[in-house]
Amino acid sequence: MAKGTGMMTDAQRIKALLNRQKPDRVSNWPILEVSFAVIYDKAPIAYAYNNPEFALAAQRKACLDFDWVFVPETDYAEQGAWEFGGDIKWPSGEFTQAPVVAHHPIETPEEAMNLKMPDVKNAGFIPIQMEFSRIAAQEKLDNEPFNVSTSFQGPFCFAANIPGPDKFCKWLIKKPEAVHHLLRLSVDFLVGVVQYWKDTFGVDNVLPMYFEPTAVNDIISPKHFEQFVLPYHKEFHQKILGMGFKHIFCHICGEHNMNLPYWAQIPMGDPGIVSIGHEVELETAAKYFPNDIILGNINPTIVQVGTPEEIYQASKEVIERGKKLPGGFIFATGCDIPPMASVENVMAMTRAVNDFGWYEEGK
Amino acid sequence: MVTEKRIKEILKGLHDAVVTFCEDKAAEWAKIALDEGVDPFAASMDGLTDGMREVGELYSKKEYFVPELLMCADALNAGLDILKPVIKESGREAEVKGSIVLGVVEGDIHDIGKNLVKLMFEVAGWTVYDLGRDVPLDKFVEEQERTNSEIVGLSALMTTSMLAMPVVVKKLREKNAKVRIMLGGAPINWDVVKKFGADGYAEDATTAVDEAIRLVKTLKKGNPDSLPDKRILDIQGG
Repeated sequence: MAKGTGMMTDAQRIKALLNRQKPDRVSNWPILEVSFAVIYDKAPIAYAYNNPEFALAAQRKACLDFDWVFVPETDYAEQGAWEFGGDIKWPSGEFTQAPVVAHHPIETPEEAMNLKMPDVKNAGFIPIQMEFSRIAAQEKLDNEPFNVSTSFQGPFCFAANIPGPDKFCKWLIKKPEAVHHLLRLSVDFLVGVVQYWKDTFGVDNVLPMYFEPTAVNDIISPKHFEQFVLPYHKEFHQKILGMGFKHIFCHICGEHNMNLPYWAQIPMGDPGIVSIGHEVELETAAKYFPNDIILGNINPTIVQVGTPEEIYQASKEVIERGKKLPGGFIFATGCDIPPMASVENVMAMTRAVNDFGWYEEGK
Repeated sequence: MVTEKRIKEILKGLHDAVVTFCEDKAAEWAKIALDEGVDPFAASMDGLTDGMREVGELYSKKEYFVPELLMCADALNAGLDILKPVIKESGREAEVKGSIVLGVVEGDIHDIGKNLVKLMFEVAGWTVYDLGRDVPLDKFVEEQERTNSEIVGLSALMTTSMLAMPVVVKKLREKNAKVRIMLGGAPINWDVVKKFGADGYAEDATTAVDEAIRLVKTLKKGNPDSLPDKRILDIQGG
């Protein structure tokens, strides 16, 4: 379907891709947009995380104003520590982006080995995320392919946040048994969370979404990925799919090029949505995930510091390359859409999708 | 009297203990060095620190990653903890190559990268004034003024916290037009450095020292516009 002739909604576009059909146009789905949305709505950034009602309304408004796909989500990269007995600090001040860990629940490998599973439903951020999802489930708009998500960090990132990534990194070498124990707990916890969401909302309108920013090759080797990430992430995805969820949204965050052969062994669904950072080429991702939808990957830094024209041109390049991917493509930022990005800059992405995102009929 | 052969053996032991990230061996070889009369300064510089240089090379070649680097640093420090008091007593000091004020800017607590940069500067013989993380912006200006450091290094991981960088750059320039400012962190590239008005950029910890040396040279030449080819090419390439 070409531009202007009976356009599909964004929900229809995503559903078409998930049914392995071609939509009329590339969808625009900047990930982790909730913090941008609350700033855009002139509220403190902490509202993205501790005010579910406001966060959801702001996200809905931004998605409508910028013509984005809307999948309600709220999460933060340092999740894990609070759930296992630590504390977090809500973002405050001019330059903060998200909650940070104020106190880690464990300091030593011995404490890690003695760590027990918390009550999933009442642990840390979970009650807030559940409240957010309960409100979100009450309505479904034309741009919402799913109106609920289970949006969390992947098991490796989640586990690393419990003692903190620096200690966790050393334990990979020094105390691997402590790392394995934390990964075991994290997988069991996250599976428990998905089960909780399934029990509450079913599976049809729920998208399991996961982000893995800590297992990057800027931090760990592909050897450690194979040893500590692959088996747990694989098991995690298998269990999600085993519950009846058909698709997983997996954000492979940052520099993962050396890990891609391992990522390709992890089932993403039928099809999955594989989100990549600007560090991974779209074509490379498509090579490793030929049957999945690729989502990405304009560099968020450009969206923050570039001019609207620079962003428009960079978006054009990504869109034109993405349209050629065989498994389907969704346009997005390579990571969080920068919360402080200007409206003009963000709108430049939308303009580019409208100008270059349309598929010609029959191609 | 310790023989040349034995000195070499001890230095190699120290070097290898760092490269193989073995804290116990680093401490053991450091004790042996002192017990057998090896110059503690040589044990530090030609044994431990030399090992850390190799670690930096392994990191550059992507044979080592952050976990290995952190473990090697622990081994280095285990050896230095034994050697340093004796070196201090002797009054002998290493030649200071330069000084840098380092910190993660306000609003950001991600400091693994900054800590690795700190380590590389220390290994290279620089004095590092580490302000830590979530550093109030004026603190960078105060510390640079207090220490008269040639370089200030700012780190940020988030697209929000990186917006603190141009504020610090402006504050530093107002106080001291000559200071050279380096930026680093995941969202940073040469284009950002240019837009924020800073002078230098290092993609990772191992290239940071070379970049600082380049900047100090521009300072000495009094040529603030001196840029490496890579920077010019990257900017032109958009």
